[in-house]
Amino acid sequence: MVIRGSLVFGYLQVQKSELLVREYEAYKAVYCSLCRQMGRDYSLLSRFSLSYDCTFYAMLLMSLSRGCKGFEDGRCRFNPLKKCKYATDEADCLARAAAFSVISAYYKLSDDISDEKFFKRILARLLRPFFGRWRKKAAARYPRLDQAVAEMMTMQAEAEQKDGVSLDEAAHPTAHMTGTVFSLDTDDEMLRRVLYEFGYHIGRWIYLIDAADDLEKDAERGGFNPFKDIDADRLVQYETEVLNQSLARAYEAYNLLTLIDFKGILDNMLLYGFPAKQNQVINKDPEEKDEQKSI
Amino acid sequence: MNKNPYEVLGVSPNATDEEIKNAYRELVKKYHPDNYANSPLADVAEEKMKEVNEAYDEIKKMRKGGAQGAGGSSYSYNNASSSQFYSVRVYIQRNMITEAEQVLDTTPEGNRTAEWHYLKGMCAFRKGWSDQANTYFQTACNMDPNNPEYRAALNNMNGQRAYNYGGYNTSGNMGTNGMGCSCCDVCAGMMCADCLCSCCRSGC
Repeated sequence: MVIRGSLVFGYLQVQKSELLVREYEAYKAVYCSLCRQMGRDYSLLSRFSLSYDCTFYAMLLMSLSRGCKGFEDGRCRFNPLKKCKYATDEADCLARAAAFSVISAYYKLSDDISDEKFFKRILARLLRPFFGRWRKKAAARYPRLDQAVAEMMTMQAEAEQKDGVSLDEAAHPTAHMTGTVFSLDTDDEMLRRVLYEFGYHIGRWIYLIDAADDLEKDAERGGFNPFKDIDADRLVQYETEVLNQSLARAYEAYNLLTLIDFKGILDNMLLYGFPAKQNQVINKDPEEKDEQKSI
Repeated sequence: MNKNPYEVLGVSPNATDEEIKNAYRELVKKYHPDNYANSPLADVAEEKMKEVNEAYDEIKKMRKGGAQGAGGSSYSYNNASSSQFYSVRVYIQRNMITEAEQVLDTTPEGNRTAEWHYLKGMCAFRKGWSDQANTYFQTACNMDPNNPEYRAALNNMNGQRAYNYGGYNTSGNMGTNGMGCSCCDVCAGMMCADCLCSCCRSGC
């Protein structure tokens, strides 16, 4: 089985060049705060599982709950010489995103053990006991998060066993999981539906872009890939179309959310960051170092 | 449900009438039913639109200066009610996709008309299975090329598939850029401006 897009990949990124400086600083602060939160709740090592995808999740939660009331100065735990800002969080968003990060990482490692090449498998075996412990801790606090990811794993395994599974069916487990995770703990039925729809298409997009990214690798070792039966001459066109559509539908739902905090940053991600990432993956461009690093 | 009308429009209570009108127009554009034609969230958009209209009316009432009507929110949906799949359409409208699919799947092979394919596509679309929906809409259009309803669904589909804001295109080989201003847009813009100009002149 191939688990994709459990939000441990880092496709959900900002387009730095289009951000205002204060937005960029806020984004960095949320990233740093999430890193610190993981250190506090789990351990130093767990921080390595932090991804842009989880930062997006944290940012969305903070924007929805309006739980971030400002920023405070601090120092980076990895590099004490580096000063950084931390976001305040009054609505438990960072802890939730941190929990989601270790839960996803744990399941991803479990999947790697059965699926990856030799060295990665060894590494996954070494790391998994740690993440297993953290996952337990996270699941005790947020049982529904763990349940959603676990359910996705079973659904994904089932979907890939079937013959002639369609692209929609293959993407459904991840999409459904993300939709569920985004819409957890929302009492308002209408908002819950909007968030589910938003998450569904973001999750679908992550699954499909990861599949497009791994197409060659999967072809080599005969792994499952929803794009594997598409003719080479219309592959790029087809990938672009299905990915575009997922983003368009996510954006449609996103537009129905009333957001104030971090709206500029989230807009940037949906309108620039994700499409730019998509173009880069589909066109097989090398990653732009400047865009990627140095947060 | 008593929200502050200024918050609904996203403006400060000190905003000028002009600013409020602009904010209102922006939101009307955003929540316009055309943007959510086939979406499972159409009702949410409609609700939002209602909220915006009410907020705008309320502000105008509070300021007592408003001379204009609240702007048209009377959008109608053109649903053919005299179809053999009437129940399916009702189910879809109520977001009861499982029930709708049940009816469709029990339809005998011979009765699977263009409308059947269209409705199958609609069910898939509502579930988020866009790719399958695309295939069904295409079949529906091929079977009945002159039906405006099926055509609209397919066009909506193609519009979404072409969506690619993309921001900066450092790769340079992407032809379409939704946000940008292509040379066509520039031309069309110039033509519009020209029309307006000539209108004025003839008026003088």
